[in-house]
Amino acid sequence: MPVRIKVKNAETGASVEMELETENTIDEVIESAATFWSKDMGAYVLRKGKKVLRGGHTLKDAGVREEDVLELIPDPEGG
Amino acid sequence: MVRTVRVGSADDDRYDRSKRLGWFDLDRVSGARVLLVGAGALGNEVAKDLALSGFRKVTIVDMDHVVGSNLSRCLFFSQADAAKRRAKAEAVAEGMLRLNRDCRPEPIVGRVEEMPPELIRRFDIVLGCLDSIDARLYVNALAYPARKVYIDGGMEGMVGKVMVSKPPDGACLQCGMNRTHGKIASLRFSCTGKDVVFHEPRLAAEITTTSVVSAVMVREALKVVSGHPEMLLDNAFYYDGQRNVSEELEIDLDPGCPLHAGRS
Repeated sequence: MPVRIKVKNAETGASVEMELETENTIDEVIESAATFWSKDMGAYVLRKGKKVLRGGHTLKDAGVREEDVLELIPDPEGG
Repeated sequence: MVRTVRVGSADDDRYDRSKRLGWFDLDRVSGARVLLVGAGALGNEVAKDLALSGFRKVTIVDMDHVVGSNLSRCLFFSQADAAKRRAKAEAVAEGMLRLNRDCRPEPIVGRVEEMPPELIRRFDIVLGCLDSIDARLYVNALAYPARKVYIDGGMEGMVGKVMVSKPPDGACLQCGMNRTHGKIASLRFSCTGKDVVFHEPRLAAEITTTSVVSAVMVREALKVVSGHPEMLLDNAFYYDGQRNVSEELEIDLDPGCPLHAGRS
């Protein structure tokens, strides 16, 4: 079942609309968005509000619904 | 019983201001055995906060040596250290002693992955200031089953994160990771040192971000050892200095995570 969501780029404020299937995974959304914005190689997570979404979850598992706004944030790994 | 108070005595007590927090327990803090993994930019700041806060028994593990470009953000490193290519763990241990003569820092020069796994049992709490996902996962895999609180800090430029893993409950570090972490797990996100992947334009450590992240890490460590787990961060603290955002993020325990097999 198709679902249309918006993904926001936390680093630039830009956003992109994505048309997905509820069986698409969060990992796939992260990688698609990171590729779309030509992100540097690195770790990223997708959040819905305060909750960090699990990579292996489908959109359905993660409770992502039509018109939800998710945010792609870098997961900093430097020390 | 009559208690005698001398005028100005509060100013003679090194820890008077910390004691005013109410929940701060100096006996527990000074007796806690701390494992500090990583003595780079973040490790320097964490070590400083540990020493000033009253922690004494701190073991510092790091495999690298000091280089000139460390000096813009590492309190305990000097030009002389860089010239001598001194081990970071040793320079940090010496710096902690300069700040607080009561400290008993123990430097270990080497990779944490080469330490005997049972080493973790010697400690009450683990603070991670690492620059690779593999090293983080190694420490996480030792700390969680051993029921040691693991406070992990990470930074990239103006963005920082602190995650507190509190076994036996709640998410561990690995629970918050996804496929993007897996793809870069073996890389080092550092500006200097051996096997470094990112030099330019990546900015692994920026001193103001480092200060924020280290402060949160040590504050959480103080809560743990003072016996106030109810005050701890639930999951992760996220900071973005460019957007002036700081907030707590929720990371659920992942029953598919190898450290939580069979749990839901």
